[in-house]
Amino acid sequence: MLRLDKYARTILGLWLVTTVIGVVLVLNTRTLLPGLLPVAASDVAKSEDFTLGLFTVLAVPVAMLVWVVAAHTIVTARSREFPTEAGPVVHGNTVVQAVWLAGSATLCVGLVVYGLALLPSIYTPVAGTQLVVDVTGQQWQWTYTYPGYGNITSTSLVLPVDQPVTFRVTSVDVTHSFWIPALGVKVDANDHEITQAFVKANVTGSFTVRCAELCGLYHAYMQSPAEIVTPAAFRQWVQQPHPKVAPAA
Amino acid sequence: MVLVGAVLVGGFAYLLKVLGNNSPILRATTVSVSGPLVHATLNIATYPDSMAGEHGKSGGPHPDWVSYGPTTNYWVPAHALVTVVIRNYDSATALNSPYFANVQGTTGGVATFNGTPLSHISPDSVAHTFTIHMFPTGGQPNLDVSVPLLGVADNAPNAPGSQYPAPTVVTFTFRTHGPGRYIWQCFDPCGGTGYYAGFGGPMSTLGYMAGSITVGTPHA
Repeated sequence: MLRLDKYARTILGLWLVTTVIGVVLVLNTRTLLPGLLPVAASDVAKSEDFTLGLFTVLAVPVAMLVWVVAAHTIVTARSREFPTEAGPVVHGNTVVQAVWLAGSATLCVGLVVYGLALLPSIYTPVAGTQLVVDVTGQQWQWTYTYPGYGNITSTSLVLPVDQPVTFRVTSVDVTHSFWIPALGVKVDANDHEITQAFVKANVTGSFTVRCAELCGLYHAYMQSPAEIVTPAAFRQWVQQPHPKVAPAA
Repeated sequence: MVLVGAVLVGGFAYLLKVLGNNSPILRATTVSVSGPLVHATLNIATYPDSMAGEHGKSGGPHPDWVSYGPTTNYWVPAHALVTVVIRNYDSATALNSPYFANVQGTTGGVATFNGTPLSHISPDSVAHTFTIHMFPTGGQPNLDVSVPLLGVADNAPNAPGSQYPAPTVVTFTFRTHGPGRYIWQCFDPCGGTGYYAGFGGPMSTLGYMAGSITVGTPHA
């Protein structure tokens, strides 16, 4: 039977307690800190939410072990006076090192595999008839054009709920990043290149589009409203007068 | 240690102040009050250099940079009709995005260009734009206004007694709602050559082609 000395028992006990507390806090983040995380308004956003939670929960025991050892050492092993001689020589423990290395490697490789397996679902169109929205970023505003509705253009993004959407994203100047946290959409907007993102919003509501790539003076203000509305409200919106791109002379 | 910390904090605060937008504020002039509705005007201009606005006759550190004047920070009253008159002395640079050749958010959806009301002009004829963004934080009212400014001819001679050609005059009116603080910017790639996509230099420095607009209650 494995016998632990007092130090090991203390560390193990503190680690277990802090890990349980940490996991409970992480699992209740939305309740304890409302507003910290965006509303998950699409399947992709929910999937990303789960991944974030999973990674954080798995990180808690690792972080707690490091912090518990560090804190315990600081509290119990510090010198109360200016040290006059070097501390005792500490030799490595092969078993501890092997377990630590194997555990870390397993955790990291597992998360990489998990991430790679999940990634294609983000970059695959949601099944169904697509609403195409051309997204143009420029310093420092987003504009949205709806080619299926006579190329009406708006600085607000309006989408019908439960409708598969394909975003065709580009930039007319520097690199931007088209990010709708609530929908779990984030894709680079590159100068005169088209990148695509796919989503289907599950709930109605008012959300925010942000630029996630530092792009200059007013990067912080490069935001626009994103309204997820009912199909009837969307049809009403597209029938309203909208500006179109003015023809060149 | 405390003294060092205080010096660091103070130095950082001073740096933020120096780097911030220190342009003076131009307040719109109230011209009439009809019931609860105030009507105010704001007279501003755009120049092909920085020698007629807030940077002084010498043009400050960048006399050749395009600029708005007399300043880039504006105050307009809440719950008001605000008429903006912009005299533009600069020539055109084709827009990166023709969307901003449209007149947006103004009364009637038009602006008058040298006296002619139009809802848009050619993207190739735009010298600058005056575009208000909604400030991203807080639940303040929407204020999305964008008006292109018609450029003067490339080879236009200077007006008699002036360092600039005769300006084009763009006039438009928009309605403000409750108080709020917004930013505005030019969307024309007028930053000059040597900057990627025309958005460097004066386009990326406060006090030239971007600023703030505060909607406030009178006497605020």
